[in-house]
Amino acid sequence: MEITLTHYLVLAGLVFLTGMVGFIVRRNALVMMMCIELMLCAVNIVFAAFGRLHAAGGAHVFVLMNFAVAAAEAAIGLAILVEIYRRSRTVNVDDLKALME
Amino acid sequence: MEGILFWFCGALLFLGGLMMVVQRSAVVSAVWLVFAFVCAAGIFAVLEAPFVAILQILVYAGAIMVLFLFVIMMLQGPVLEGEGKRIPLGLWPLIALPPAAVVVLVVGYLRQPQKTGFAGPVPEGFGSVSHVAGLLLGKYLLAFELISIVLLVAIIGALAIGLGERKLPWR
Repeated sequence: MEITLTHYLVLAGLVFLTGMVGFIVRRNALVMMMCIELMLCAVNIVFAAFGRLHAAGGAHVFVLMNFAVAAAEAAIGLAILVEIYRRSRTVNVDDLKALME
Repeated sequence: MEGILFWFCGALLFLGGLMMVVQRSAVVSAVWLVFAFVCAAGIFAVLEAPFVAILQILVYAGAIMVLFLFVIMMLQGPVLEGEGKRIPLGLWPLIALPPAAVVVLVVGYLRQPQKTGFAGPVPEGFGSVSHVAGLLLGKYLLAFELISIVLLVAIIGALAIGLGERKLPWR
């Protein structure tokens, strides 16, 4: 079967959906952040697929930007998580109800 | 060749993501995510983005996931709590084999002289290091500088959070 743009977009959509479902279902904040990384990865695939379609190198540049954003997000997010753990001794989001009350 | 690589990497990428969500243990989840990222690098290689594919493995599967694993190990107590079973030792090579196969397939694919892909042939050197670097330091210089500021702010922010309120130099 011939591979078309649709194949890549469907794959990216499936991967994004997996990450989204994981983000909603999982209660461990660390795993939730990993799900965000997976969603970012799906977006990168869409970028690369359209860059391939138009033979445009700009798409690769934006994938690299996305890498940097993901790295920044991971660094800040994990720092916040460590701080949360220091204060409340848990990373389970169900137990973190300080903002809910 | 493109079809084989797409279906192989795509199926394994989806499988890796699914297993990451399903696994109970955070460490095992992280390992499955590394698995998925390596397969995503294969997808990038099919899309004529070899530089991005290498960076996907180096930065994502390497640096970012090491950071995640480091934090998981640091918070080991609560995260690993209630973890019933481990992956048996014999299963680890089985997990490591598909990413290795992806790498071999990708190298084989990239060495092919004539690649048409789904949108016709691309210009010579498309997606190579020099091509992307030329764009980064030419047309997209502003975005490049801005992203470096984002990274700088992230470093300072992470430091500020990590040091705690009282130890900050401006307090």
